[in-house]
Amino acid sequence: MSRVKLSEYRAKKILLGTQYQGLSIHADGGDAMPTEGRWVVKVDQGVKKRFKQGLVVVDTPVAELNTAIESWKGRGFTQFILEPFFPHDAHDEQYFSMERVRGGLRILHAKEGGVDIEAHPEAVKQYLITTGADAGTVAAASGIPHQFLVQCMEVFDKQFFTFLEVNPLVIKDGEAHLLDAAVLVDDAGAFFTDAWSDTDVVKSKARHPAEVRVEALAATTPASLKLSVINPDGALFFLLSGGGGSIVIADEAQLLGAGALIGNYGEYSGGPTRQETYLYAKEVVGVMLASNAKKKALVIAGGIANFTDMRSTFSGIIDALCEIATDMRAAGIKVFVRRGGPNEAAGLKIMRAFLEKEGLSGSIEGSDAIITKAVDDAVAFIKS
Amino acid sequence: MNTIEQIRKGKSGILVSGNHEKIVQSILDFDFLSGKEEPSIVGIISGNKKAQKFFFGTREILLPCYKNFEAVPKSSAEKVSWLLNLQSGRRVFDSTIAFFAAYPLALGAHLFAENVPESHATELIRRFGADKLIAGPSGVGLVVSGSLKLGAIGGTDAVQLSASHLGTPGSIAVVSTSGGMTNELIRAVAMAGKRLSFSISIGGDRFPVTSLTDVLMLAENDEETSAIVYFGELGGTDEYEIVELITAKKLTKPVLAYIAGIIDEAFDEHMQFGHAKALVARTDESARAKRDALRAVGVVAPETFPQFLDEMKTLPQNGFQDTIFDAIALLERSKSILSTRSILDLDSAPVFIQDGAIVRRGDSTFATAALRALLGREISDVAAAYVEAVFELLIDHGGNVSGAVNTMITARAGRDMVSSLASGLLTIGPRFGGAINEAARTWLSGVLSGVSAATFVEAAAKEGMVLSGIGHRKYRVGIPDPRVEALAQFTILLKRHSYYDFARAVEAVTTTKNGKLILNVDGVVASVLLDILVEEDHFSAEELQELLEVEFFNALFVIPRTVGFIAHFMEQKRNDEGLFRLPDELLFVRPSIKKKK
Repeated sequence: MSRVKLSEYRAKKILLGTQYQGLSIHADGGDAMPTEGRWVVKVDQGVKKRFKQGLVVVDTPVAELNTAIESWKGRGFTQFILEPFFPHDAHDEQYFSMERVRGGLRILHAKEGGVDIEAHPEAVKQYLITTGADAGTVAAASGIPHQFLVQCMEVFDKQFFTFLEVNPLVIKDGEAHLLDAAVLVDDAGAFFTDAWSDTDVVKSKARHPAEVRVEALAATTPASLKLSVINPDGALFFLLSGGGGSIVIADEAQLLGAGALIGNYGEYSGGPTRQETYLYAKEVVGVMLASNAKKKALVIAGGIANFTDMRSTFSGIIDALCEIATDMRAAGIKVFVRRGGPNEAAGLKIMRAFLEKEGLSGSIEGSDAIITKAVDDAVAFIKS
Repeated sequence: MNTIEQIRKGKSGILVSGNHEKIVQSILDFDFLSGKEEPSIVGIISGNKKAQKFFFGTREILLPCYKNFEAVPKSSAEKVSWLLNLQSGRRVFDSTIAFFAAYPLALGAHLFAENVPESHATELIRRFGADKLIAGPSGVGLVVSGSLKLGAIGGTDAVQLSASHLGTPGSIAVVSTSGGMTNELIRAVAMAGKRLSFSISIGGDRFPVTSLTDVLMLAENDEETSAIVYFGELGGTDEYEIVELITAKKLTKPVLAYIAGIIDEAFDEHMQFGHAKALVARTDESARAKRDALRAVGVVAPETFPQFLDEMKTLPQNGFQDTIFDAIALLERSKSILSTRSILDLDSAPVFIQDGAIVRRGDSTFATAALRALLGREISDVAAAYVEAVFELLIDHGGNVSGAVNTMITARAGRDMVSSLASGLLTIGPRFGGAINEAARTWLSGVLSGVSAATFVEAAAKEGMVLSGIGHRKYRVGIPDPRVEALAQFTILLKRHSYYDFARAVEAVTTTKNGKLILNVDGVVASVLLDILVEEDHFSAEELQELLEVEFFNALFVIPRTVGFIAHFMEQKRNDEGLFRLPDELLFVRPSIKKKK
C-alpha cells in the first residue's frame, strides 16, 4: 500500500549477499567496530541529500570513526552504516535507479552521476524492462553489467523492492559497485518475505511522542489512524476522517489564510471501533491542550463516510473529550463538526447533546452542509 | 458494447468473496431501491456456512454460501458477471485469479483490500487490465445508478443511498481516487439537482488495475453520461492523463475537477498524506501545477471546494424521474431465528379413538412421526420399520455403560429427572453412543471415494484415523453381536445395499488384524440406514452429506436411549440408596513418592 524506506545496510545485504562487507551500527551501542582499514561512515536513516548535510565521512581511519558517529548522535541520529572505503575517480561515478511502474521496471541511468545529478537531467537515459529478456538489451545499450541488472530484477520481484537508487554507481572490471544506495520497499510485501522486516524500515528522527503512540496504536488495527504534529503551538486542531476529505478541509484552512495556525494533521478512517477512536482522539486533544496558542478550536470533520460508523466513532471521540471537558472550557476551546455517513443522525445527536451540555459547541453539521463548513467556522472563531 | 451499457442491460450478477456484512446488505438495499425483483448477489464464497441471512427490503432472505468458485451450481453461475473481492490484501491476488479462471466471461471485479502488494497489482494489470473492469486494489468500488452497486461506494446505510438517489439513472459520472470523496461527490451531485450515471472509485493505490484513462474512456463512450466530475490530489501524474486525452480529442465531454493539496504549500517539507500516491516527489505533481495544466486544456478546475460545488450546478443533465422510497422502513429491521418449516401440524390432531375402539393407524407410527419431523418429508415403510427396530434395540444396554452410570450416580445425588437424564445424555460422544454419525461419515466417504475396502482401511491407518462403526469391547469374531445380526436382516428388503456391503468388506479387512474389530451396532445402524435412504427414499449423495453435517444419525441413539436413562433414574429413585461413593477398591490411588529424610 505504501512505500517505505529500507536501511541502506539491509538493502545492500539483500542485493549483494555475503560479499557485502558493510556494518550496521546503532546508537545504543553493542555493535562491533572494525579494528583496521579505511572506511566510509554514513547516517543510515533514509535522509535525503546526506552528503550535503554532512552526514557522510569518506576515507576515514578506524581511530576517527567514533568522532563522526558521536557528533551525529548529538544531532539525534541513531543508526549508522560503515563500509570499506573504495578508491575511485570522481568521473567514474554513474547514476542508476530502478522503479516499479505500471508496465514493468523503469530504469534511469546516466554516465555522469554524483550529488549534482539533478542539474543534468539531459544526461539521464530511460529504459523499461517488461520481461526478463529485456535485461540483455538494456545492458548492451547502457553498459550496466548484465548480471547486476538480473540481480536487481530478481530482488524486485521476490523481495518486494519498489525503488532503488544507486548514486554513485561505479563500474569497474565489469562489476557494479554500489557506493550509496537508497531503497523503498512495498510494506504490503512484509508478509510474504523473510529478507526484511519492520525492524529494517528506517525511522525518521525526533518525532512527537503522540505520533509515536498513534503509530503503535495503528499497528494493532485494520483501520487507518495517522497523526502528524505540525505546530505544537497551533490554534487549529483536526480530528479528520478519510484521506481525500482531510486534504480538502486542510486546503480550506490554507485558503482562508490559516495554514500556519494548523496544529496537527492526520486521519482516522476505515471503520475504527469506538475504543480505537477514543485512543486516537485522546492523543490529538492532548496535543491541543498543550498548545500555547491563545485561542484554540477543534475541528471534527470529514466527508460522507462509505462504511465508517458515525455513532460508534463519535462515541469514541466523546469518550476522549469527556475526560478533558473542564480543561477545554477553561481554555475557551470550541468544537466544530461536519461529518456524514452510516448512522449519521444518531452520531450527530449524541455529539450535539454532549457539546451543548459541556458548553463546547461551536457548530455541528451533517452531510446537508458543505464539507468545509466546520473549518470555515473554526477559522472565523480563532480569528475573531 | 461499453461495459457500463452491459451493466444497464442486466449484466449485474455478483459473487462475493470474503465477508463484510454491511457492504453486502447495502448492495441488497441498492437493488431494492432500484426496483429490482431479485438481489444482484448470486452467492457468497465463505468456507464455513451454507447460507447467510440478509434483508431484501424488509423481507428476510438467505444468500447461499459456497466453499469456492467452482462449487456454485450451474444455474446460478450463469448469472455471475462480477466479483466483489473482500478478502485481505494478502489473499486478493490468488482469489481474483481463481475467480477469472472459473468465470472467464465475467466483466470485472472490485478489490477492496488496501494492502495488496504492488507486484500483485501489476501482475493483475498484465493479465486482466486490457479486457476487464477492475476497481481497485483499494477504494470503494463502482456503482451504476439503478443497475449495479459493487462495493461500499455510495454508503452502507439505506438512508445514504436514498439521499444520493442512487436508484435513479442520471447523466453525471463521478471519478475519484479517494474513497471518501467519491461518496462526498456522489452526494454533491444529488444536492446540485443532478443524478449520477455511474461512479468508479479508482483507489488510492499506486497501480489501480483499471486506470483513470480507462475510466474516462468509459465515461466518454457512455451515451447516458453528459459530464464528468473528478476529484484528484497532490502527488502522482494522473491529471496529466486527462490533459493528454483532451489534447488528443479523445475526451470531449465537459470535465469539472477539484485537485486537493494546496495545503502542502503551507509546509516547508512535503508531507505524506493518506494515500500512497500522495508522496510528492516532483514539483509538477503539486496540486497547483496540476490545476493549471487542467485549466490550460479547458477543464473547469476551481480554486476552492465551495466554488467547485457551485460549478456542479451548471453541468448538463438529461431529464430524470425519482422513485419514492422509504429508507426509514429499512432502518428498523431485525433478524429472526430462521425456521423454514413447521415440524408438526399444530392445528390438526389424528383420531385415536373412534366408535369406542382404538383406531389402528398402521405400524411404526412413532418412528414415522419422528422421521417426518427430523427429515422434513414423508418416508418409506421400510425406513419407518427399520428406525422402529433401532429404537427398540437401543433403548437400553444395561447399567454398566457410562451414560447409565452417570444417570444413576446423579439420581443418587438427589437430582431430579431432567438433571439426571442430562447427565447421562452429556456422556454421549465419540466413544459412547455418539459414533453413529461418524460411522455414517466413514461409509459415505468410503463408497464415494470408489476405492477398495483394503485401500480405504490402509489409508485410514496411515492417517492414524479410528474407523467409527468398527470394533467392540465384548463381542468378537465367533461371538457375534446379536443386535447387529438382527438389524442386518433389513438388507434382504433392498435391491442394492452398497453401504452395508462396504461396511462388511471393511470388517473383513479389519478382522484379519484383530478379531475384535467387527462391525458394531453404530456401524450397522449407519450403513443399513444409508442404504434404505438411498434405495427406498431416494436421497442423493448431497442430501446424505447434509444429514451428516446436521448430526442426524446420532438422533437414532439419543432418542431411544433417553427412555433407557429415564428408566435407570426411576429405578434409583425407587431404591433410594443415598449418595453414591466410589468404593476404595475401585479407586487406584497412586502411592505418593516420599522424600528421604
